[in-house]
Amino acid sequence: MNPADITDTTDTTGARGETPAGAGHTGTNPMNPADPMNSAGLAAAPGTGSTSVSPTAASLWRGGRGALLVALIVVAAAVAGVLLGGTGGQDRRLDPDDTSLSGAGALARLLEGRGVRIARVTSAAEARTAATADSTLLVTDAFPLTAGDASRLAGTPGDLLLVGGDRRLRTLAPGLRATGEARTRSREPRCALPAAAAAGSVHLGGTTFAVPRGGTGCYPAGDDPTLVGYRDGDRTITAVGDGDFMTNLRLAEDGNAALAMNLAGARPTLVWLVPPPPGEAAAEPGEQGIYDLVPPGVRWAVAQLALAVVLLALWRGRRLGPVVAERLPVVVRAAETAEGRARLYRARRARDRAAAALREGFADRVVPRLGLPSAAGPDARVSALAERTGQAAPQVASALYGPPPADDAGLVALAAYLDMLERQVRDS
Amino acid sequence: MALTGRAALLALLGTLVVLFAPRPGPAVAGVALLLAALVAVDLLLAGGVRPLRFTRSGDRLVRLGETATVDLIVENPGRRRVRGLLRDAWPPSAGAAPRRFALDVPAGERRRLTLTLTPVRRGDREAAAVTVRSLGPLGIAARQGSHRVPWSVRVLPPFLSRKHLPAKLTRLRELEGAHPSMVRGQGTEFDSLREYVPGDDVRSIDWRATARRSDVVVRTWRPERDRRVLIVLDTGRTSAGRVGTAPVPLAGQEDRSSAGRGAGLGGPSGVLPGGLSGGLPGGRGGAGTAPGWPRLDWSMDAALLLAALAARAGDRVDFMAHDRSVRAWVSGAGRTELLSSLVNAMAPIEAELVEADAADMVAAVLARARRRCLVVLLTDLNAASLEEGLLPVLPQLSSRHLVLLAAASDPQVAAMAAGRGTPELVYDAAAAERQSADRRRITARLRRQGVEVVDAAPEQLAPALADAYLALKAAGRL
Repeated sequence: MNPADITDTTDTTGARGETPAGAGHTGTNPMNPADPMNSAGLAAAPGTGSTSVSPTAASLWRGGRGALLVALIVVAAAVAGVLLGGTGGQDRRLDPDDTSLSGAGALARLLEGRGVRIARVTSAAEARTAATADSTLLVTDAFPLTAGDASRLAGTPGDLLLVGGDRRLRTLAPGLRATGEARTRSREPRCALPAAAAAGSVHLGGTTFAVPRGGTGCYPAGDDPTLVGYRDGDRTITAVGDGDFMTNLRLAEDGNAALAMNLAGARPTLVWLVPPPPGEAAAEPGEQGIYDLVPPGVRWAVAQLALAVVLLALWRGRRLGPVVAERLPVVVRAAETAEGRARLYRARRARDRAAAALREGFADRVVPRLGLPSAAGPDARVSALAERTGQAAPQVASALYGPPPADDAGLVALAAYLDMLERQVRDS
Repeated sequence: MALTGRAALLALLGTLVVLFAPRPGPAVAGVALLLAALVAVDLLLAGGVRPLRFTRSGDRLVRLGETATVDLIVENPGRRRVRGLLRDAWPPSAGAAPRRFALDVPAGERRRLTLTLTPVRRGDREAAAVTVRSLGPLGIAARQGSHRVPWSVRVLPPFLSRKHLPAKLTRLRELEGAHPSMVRGQGTEFDSLREYVPGDDVRSIDWRATARRSDVVVRTWRPERDRRVLIVLDTGRTSAGRVGTAPVPLAGQEDRSSAGRGAGLGGPSGVLPGGLSGGLPGGRGGAGTAPGWPRLDWSMDAALLLAALAARAGDRVDFMAHDRSVRAWVSGAGRTELLSSLVNAMAPIEAELVEADAADMVAAVLARARRRCLVVLLTDLNAASLEEGLLPVLPQLSSRHLVLLAAASDPQVAAMAAGRGTPELVYDAAAAERQSADRRRITARLRRQGVEVVDAAPEQLAPALADAYLALKAAGRL
């Protein structure tokens, strides 16, 4: 195709007077500056220059340095928060080695300062080994106490301090019974237990207990105490409804520290049972999961595979150049108005209007063929039609001017009859 | 920058290494570092994209339905060879092919790439960007960058009705009496006196002149020349409706001939004709459900044939496109350059989705056409919009000018009107009859006001309009 085609057409139709069939020729004359097509503002010197539109390193730096600064600030803040926040990782509640707000490191340091030896154990078996007649075994609600653990702990010598909740009381502390729940708040001792009376008000609550025979109940919430101490044989069993008062967060309030030290520091040795670290939970043979059996190389290989997938995504996701947008013309068929009207007729079963439209179209086409003026009245039309087609006049009259069809079948029949009449008029 | 499949493949192989390495953790780090080092080396050794220079040459104009070629010369002034991919991005409807080139330009050399454009719509198509992905020697990573290399190709109306031009010109010559068949010219404008030769119509003997001379003298006639024709193209909403079957594939539409082969040319442009034609009552062929060509394009086709014919007949042709205001205006073009001026003016025009302002159009025509002329209105015979828009202001126009209104009818409506057999089809037929009746009514009203009306199927509009023009010319009504 050469743009001179159209110029050719003009030439043939205009000046030269040749047969314009040449309009379809592929012109070969080059575009010259005098060509009117160029005069429409399209003329441009060949060899237009090109400009790079990709960002340079400098523009990337200028555009990205703000975001980079924000990212650096965020990272720095996160690092500072972790460093200042003490031990990383998750909180270990009521753990003597934990210095977070829910740990009990402060209490452990205080007890050590008073000469109490703290034996930190992570399983019931260890606790049983560590416990002697002159020790206190501390079981907190942080330790996930199984039935087996409870039966192992039940026969340990020495005192027993149960902190928080329902610590399998039936096995560990026969005779003691939980009765309900109480809100944790500052409470008065209201009892003669020396450890409690000396400590004064303490932040307590949680489980309430029924006082067994020969026992002492302190810090009552309503009628039931939240701290109970009693003798079971040659050892003392003390149960506390809630362990919050021993945490680093609460230890400095009220008489919390005093009560905690009185209870936990009653004997020279404190066997402190804490839950094992998460990784060691499955250390026992027979309790390994399927993932523990996978060789460590596979995990790293999966990481490497993830890297490969990321690279694959980068390869496939990088577009070669921009997406080019374009204003598209509207695509609407002109027949849609007629189709919409047809749908309305159908939806409303508008037989009267449909029949009127069909009759009008029929009359417009047929009346001129009958040689009648368009102003001819119904009677003239009917008689002329009947005469021309040989149909009975009443039938023609009812088809042209009768009432609208009573049902769809009548409408179809009317259309067919009008068609037949029109065909006969046309062919006659 | 960009990575290639080799980088991903290397990382995948690294997985095997890690799987069997004695110390997998460091192995992962090692593989990652090795990859990073390879990518860095490849990027450093790849030819620079930024210094590349591009030059275009080639076609500026193409008729719709035909193919233009645009050359892109890539010059590499850098010190390294540039090897990789190049994409010359154009709007989807420009139909640029191929989508991407393999590029290999040694340092200091240049290469010519030839792009073919097969546009599917009229209008100006601007090149968007040239993007080069320059691979490093290892083929792991590539530098990538884009350049703006401006070029635009104007897609002209196809002027398909030029096939009718020879026949119409033959009729025009018969009118002028210049036809070899020696029939008497049928014009009304006095041309000259000449001696009688046997075979001349005796009715054309000029007795007064015969009396002055000893010979029998006849008058010869010819049609009027140097009349004015003003073609007014309505680009309002009624011109956006699509009728008939597009003779060249338009955006979002399959070529009629390639419908059986499947893939649509306009696929990437994202228009979904299928959604518009869904749920039609069955029984009408697939051709009826394609969205066809806008009335505007049929009107342009007819306008071009009329302009070619009128220019050949010695009339002056002006052109105006109008919806709410004048969108294009071509006046005073010489006969040789008329058609090129017209197609250039028509190329960027699209139908606007606004109601045309007939009063403004009439005012614009009256302001521009001082002398009496033939005003050819190319619009749609839409009863509602004509009654509200054109009819109230028509007397101003028809009192000074001869008005000819041409419109493409909708074959789809005609097909609907023939539907019989089931109630649904009969309702369709009734709706189509109703629309046809509206059309006939508005046609009758226009004719009563002295307006010539040409109402023809889309493919027949151009010859019908040319015939109407020739008839007016023969009747001396111009």
